[in-house]
Amino acid sequence: MAYLKFQRSAIHSAVSSSAAHIGVGISGQEGMQAVLASDYSFAQFRYLRRLLLVHGRWSYFRMCNFLWYFFYKNFAFTLVHFWYGFFCGFSAQTVYDQWFITLFNIVYTSLPVLAMGLFDQDVSDQNSLHYPSLYKPGQQNLFFNKRQFFLCTLQGVSTSSLLFFIPYAAFSVMVKEDGSYISDQQVFAVTIATSLVIVVTVQIGLDTHYWTVVNHFFVWGSLIVYFAILFAMQSDGMFGIFTSSFPFVGTARNCLSEKSVWLVILLTSVVCVVPGMAVSFLRVELFPTLTDKVQTSSHRSAYAFSHQQGYGELITSGKNMKMSTASSTGSPGGTPQSSTWIENMLKRKNAVSCVSDEITGAPAKTD
Amino acid sequence: MVKEEKEIANRPDNTAFTQQRLPAWQPMLSAGIVIPGFVLIGLAFIGIGVALFVTSRSITVLEIDYTGVEKDSPCYKCSDADVKNCVCNLVFSIDRTRVLLLWFVKLFQNYRKYAASKDDDQLSGDLDAFTAPSDSCSPYDYNSNDKPIVPCGAIANSMFNDTFKLYRVVNGAKKLVPLDGKGIAWWIDYNVKYRNPSVTPLKNAFNNTVKPIFWPKPAYQLDASDPANNGFINQDFLVWMRRAALPDFRKLYRRITEGDYAKGLPAGNYSLTIAYNYPVLSFEGTKKVVFSNVSWMGGKNEFLGIAYLVVGSLCVLMSIVMLIVYAKFKFPEED
Repeated sequence: MAYLKFQRSAIHSAVSSSAAHIGVGISGQEGMQAVLASDYSFAQFRYLRRLLLVHGRWSYFRMCNFLWYFFYKNFAFTLVHFWYGFFCGFSAQTVYDQWFITLFNIVYTSLPVLAMGLFDQDVSDQNSLHYPSLYKPGQQNLFFNKRQFFLCTLQGVSTSSLLFFIPYAAFSVMVKEDGSYISDQQVFAVTIATSLVIVVTVQIGLDTHYWTVVNHFFVWGSLIVYFAILFAMQSDGMFGIFTSSFPFVGTARNCLSEKSVWLVILLTSVVCVVPGMAVSFLRVELFPTLTDKVQTSSHRSAYAFSHQQGYGELITSGKNMKMSTASSTGSPGGTPQSSTWIENMLKRKNAVSCVSDEITGAPAKTD
Repeated sequence: MVKEEKEIANRPDNTAFTQQRLPAWQPMLSAGIVIPGFVLIGLAFIGIGVALFVTSRSITVLEIDYTGVEKDSPCYKCSDADVKNCVCNLVFSIDRTRVLLLWFVKLFQNYRKYAASKDDDQLSGDLDAFTAPSDSCSPYDYNSNDKPIVPCGAIANSMFNDTFKLYRVVNGAKKLVPLDGKGIAWWIDYNVKYRNPSVTPLKNAFNNTVKPIFWPKPAYQLDASDPANNGFINQDFLVWMRRAALPDFRKLYRRITEGDYAKGLPAGNYSLTIAYNYPVLSFEGTKKVVFSNVSWMGGKNEFLGIAYLVVGSLCVLMSIVMLIVYAKFKFPEED
């Protein structure tokens, strides 16, 4: 969320949050004008805390993840044709079956990311309330900005190049086990399409932090539906009814029964997915953000955290947290414990820009 | 009291689904999972890579270019476009048994307009399409006299028509090696996708049509020796129609598995007589003849073996790097 505006007044209270672009009104003793002018309303001012810190934050996090993944999978899907252009005389010959192109975004890859957009939680709601600093990336536009978009594009382009060039190199000299031809357009298409669906499904699986029943159903279901539709459309029956519309008859059966084709698919999938895993593991170890630390700690036992006051300053002074040697500017160490969490947030908004610097802080007063 | 009732009426559902409280599995890619996972993947890939590499090494491929570009090539005389029905002779020796004879051509079968230039209805035996070929075949749908071409389209028109005869040279005498041309195309092509019109004799179905411009003989005369190998289900035609994905490709011509050569071609001297009909020099293509073996992973494919070895080693290396990083950053925290 880029900013949070609110007015405190005895007569009405209205808050607008610009990420979700909703207006919220709080109904009060003095009247209902704010309620009438807003998208959502509730009765007590304290409800605002949960709305912003939990749901607003989750909404921002989910939206950014969704955007990132959507751009990534479409770059990976489409740019294969860019690479293929160099090898087909730039004639715009498609790599994939026409039906696959139609169904990719609608059927094979739409539901897992939808489930992630609805249910994903990077930290639980209690932790979101206990550590209001987690709200900061939203205010500072950290989860999806030009840099993130560039990285997402880069990953999409490199995935597409691996998706094309590994099968290209393998199919240049491949024949079937009985010697007959296998490097034809249709087998090439099915191999790359299968690798693509597996890669993007594994990627959404790695990006989903909170696997509800719905997520499981959509992710595994999408993979199963892909193979079901693949074999159904390339069956003799469909070819018999609509001859010109299903020229890929028999391809899936012939190529997915060859060991060498599965070896190509396995190699492509692993090479596309594994570097991302290594990079994100190293990033969490070397440059952990507050979200990473909260996630790691909540997976350990709960004794590490005191719930006495429930504000973020407490975590910054705990012994179990690593004290960074980086200097902190404008840390809120000198201020007395604030009476309201809103004043704390305002102070932090004007404080250090780097989120991880939140961890450095003044020594505890209560310890 | 009124206010309370209004509140109850407007209260949203309090279910786990609507209140974002669904029970969930929250996997965490911790070091305990990622590092052993990388080691496992790395070792598995190295194992597969070794198996592929060793298998590929055991397969040998003999390739002989016969385009005839160089002056000292036996087929140089055939490379002249004006020479028709040229025959050239290659002499070579084989050191290990081989079972496959393939031809290799460098040409763009994946060009979009070329790829669309065929009529699937004609090729599945629909007689209506014989008299009215579809527009996608143009300009290879009607000849200059407005007669429909069957099979229409650029793909069929450009069918590869070099033929090969293989002789084994034993004590100076040439002995013909029998080549097996059955089943070189996909079963699905021969039995389902391409069908001859159900007219006997097949010749009658082609009345009032003409053969493709480039072909020496019409479709119903593609194989004089085997009546089941004519029309659209001719094996060589099917092999050609299975369009290649990449600009250079090798397709199966014959298998060498008959009679004395049930185990393939033994080592020795051989002579290959080529009826050089297919002109590739006008677009700077090349032609080669290839003798190869097969294995469980297909033909010789060094790329897969090497790629698996490289990826496996990189995974193991990454796991070591991650272990060092993890150990270095974890243990100072816990003192």
